[in-house]
This record gives sequence, structure tokens and C-alpha cells, in this order.
Amino acid sequence: MLLHVNTSSGVPVYLQIEAQVKHAVAAGALKQGDALLSVRKLAAELRVNPNTVARAYQNLEREGVIRTVPGGGTYVADNQPGLLKSEKLRRLRPLARQLAVESTQLRLSAEDVARLLEEELDGLGGRR
Amino acid sequence: MSETAISSQGLTKIYPQVRAVDGLNLNVPRGAVYGFLGRNGAGKTTTIKTLLGLARPSGGTAQVLGLDIRVGHLAILERTGFVSETKVLFESLTPAQLIRFNRGYFPKWSDALAERYLKLFEIPRDRTFGKLSLGNRTKVCHLLALCQGAELLILDEPTSGLDPVMTDLLMRILIEDHVNEGTTVFFCSHHLSEVEKIADWIGIIEAGKLLLETRLEEIRQNFRLITVSGDALPVMAAPNLVSQRRAERFHRFLVSHEAEEFAARLRGQGATVLEISPVNLGEVFLGLAGKELPCMPGSVGATHATA
Repeated sequence: MLLHVNTSSGVPVYLQIEAQVKHAVAAGALKQGDALLSVRKLAAELRVNPNTVARAYQNLEREGVIRTVPGGGTYVADNQPGLLKSEKLRRLRPLARQLAVESTQLRLSAEDVARLLEEELDGLGGRR
Repeated sequence: MSETAISSQGLTKIYPQVRAVDGLNLNVPRGAVYGFLGRNGAGKTTTIKTLLGLARPSGGTAQVLGLDIRVGHLAILERTGFVSETKVLFESLTPAQLIRFNRGYFPKWSDALAERYLKLFEIPRDRTFGKLSLGNRTKVCHLLALCQGAELLILDEPTSGLDPVMTDLLMRILIEDHVNEGTTVFFCSHHLSEVEKIADWIGIIEAGKLLLETRLEEIRQNFRLITVSGDALPVMAAPNLVSQRRAERFHRFLVSHEAEEFAARLRGQGATVLEISPVNLGEVFLGLAGKELPCMPGSVGATHATA
């Protein structure tokens, strides 16, 4: 897994790590049961403080993206077990709101936005 | 074993012309990667010299690895790896000779690491130090500090003189071989994006005084820049206000916590709140040490108590 961080982007490093792991999982580049680098190894790889990686891993674990086996490494979890659909939608709502605001600003129709979203979903492939 | 790697209480160093360090209260937890930031001449190097017993304090006290700096400086030097800003060593010795010379002083010296770093850093072993490039001198200084099995590394401008490839390599080595093993790193740097990646604590010093000491996480979570517009707003004072700047009708406030409450107060005074945004380390540094109006330095020092 090739992660990278950009400190001049203004996005906190732990969020960048979280987003990239989620993307790799959604796109099928990381599959259920695949091992991730340990906190220490990934910190050295990215030249970031180990606490930053630990924080990203904690958040990913809380969201059910990865699971940590005590003393045995970190793995991609089974697909979001036990998460209610309403909870999944709740997490997505802020992004949907932003998409709505930006598309209104740009005077794009609902169909345009839907098509765009469709294309991005197709781009991830694996999920269909 | 004490929980803090470095702590000081009112540490002061007065030179004939200047109060270089002026009542410094530092707290560097064990295992932290602590970025010690300040403008040129702010007192960073004098602080380090005083902590290591290389300069005698004019007042106050400090402990490094639990040892009083006034009496324990030999033991401190044995357990602390130090790279000075100037990177000066014996000119007539080669890196191989410098290693042989240094290893005898440090019971926990690692020959394996020395060999590893000689190779990784591509250091010419048999050219005398005086004939090495600035980059290679810097690398030799790091090698000597990193191999002595230190519990604490004090690095003054560690990456100055290193090319981007070697800077990257040094960062990797620091994390992989030292931070991951629990070594405390206390370093000065002007490269704030570098600091933001590797550090988990920062201290900002200006004119010998510590203006802010906090977890970097605290800045990400709670520090906010509030931009408002409004006429005839009173000058604000609050313990969470770090700095403020005014330009005609626009006002910008950097607060260390409770940004929403602060914004509500501004609204109550007739201001229109335009934006409440997260800040990066550079903005905090400029807000405190830069030419903006700093307000009540010292009051923000209390923020680390909440971390």
C-alpha cells in the first residue's frame, strides 16, 4: 500500500491517511483480511510522528474499516459489519450537503450531479 | 524515573547586553518529539546550552532526565545526544577516528548503528573533518549523537546544510531507530512543515520567553482563526486569545480554545463573523512571533494544562 502525505495541503496528516486507506479499500486495492503496515513502520515510511498514524488507525478501527489483532497486526476488516444503514447515511450527509451547495453554486442540474456520482462509483469498479 | 525529559522553572540567562533566556518554564514529556521554535535570536540556542551545562544559568532551575543542570551536567551529557547549530568537531580527525574517540565516553554506544549510518549517510570515512563539505560535517555530527544510546536527543537545526534526500533520510532514521524506541527528541527548526509532520509537542520562544507550549494535536483540535467584520469593536481580552490583527473593518482573532463562545461574544458586540477556520502551525507561529499584535503573552501558556 503506497500512502503519501502532503503537509502543505492544510489537511491534517491523520485525515489524509484515513482517506487514502478508505479509498484503497473502496476501490478494492485493499481487500478484506489484507495486512496494513504497523504503526511504527508506516510512521517511518511517511516520516511522521507515530502518534499521528496511531490516531488514524484508531479512527479507522472505530469506523469498522480495519481491525487490530492485539500483538498480531492490523488488517482490513469485513465490510462494515453491524452498521445500521441510517448510521451509514448519517456519516455521508455532510459530504452530500457540500455536494449540493457546490453544484447549486455552479448551476448544475440534479441529473448532472447524479451522472457525476454514477461515474465516480463506476470508477471504483469493485463494488458493483 | 521522572516523567519529564526536560523541565525548567524560571530559567534565566543574562548576558551583559541581553536577557537571552528570561524566566523560561519548559516541560518536555518523556518520549515526546518536541519542536522548539523561535525567530533568530529568540533564545533557542542559549536555552539549549544552559540545559546542557555549557552555559551557567543566571537564575531559575532546570532538570534534564531528572538531573539538576547545576550539578549533574556530566551525567546529562552522557545520556543526551547533542548536535549543535555550528557542527564543529576536531578538524584533523577523520570520521572513523572521531567514532573511535567518541565511543569510549558512552557506555551504551552502538557500533552496529555507527556502521549503518556511515553507509546510509554515505560518509567518507577517511577524509579529515576539516576537509568535509558542510553536509558531510552535519551527517558526522548526527552519527555521533545518534549512536551513543542516548535517552534524549537535542538537535539544534538538525537539517540545516542537508540536501532534501538526506533530510528525508534523517527523518526516517529518527523515527525508525529512535522515536519508535521511546527516545525523547528536542529540536529547533525553522522548517515548520517538517516540524508539523514529526513533532507531537511544540514550544514557541520569543525574546527569551516561552509564548506557547502545547501538544500539536491541541492546535489541530482547538485552535481557530476567527475572521469578523464590524465597526468600532472594542479591543478584546480573554485568556484564550492568542493574537489578534486588525485591518480597517476586518479583525482576525487567533484563539486557543472555545472558538464558538468567543465568536458569540463578538456577535454580541455587533460583529459579523465571516469565518471560523482551523489553523496550521505556520499561522500560529506568525500570530505569536510575527508582527501581528500579540496579546498578553504568557496567558496562552496555560493552554497546555488542558492537553
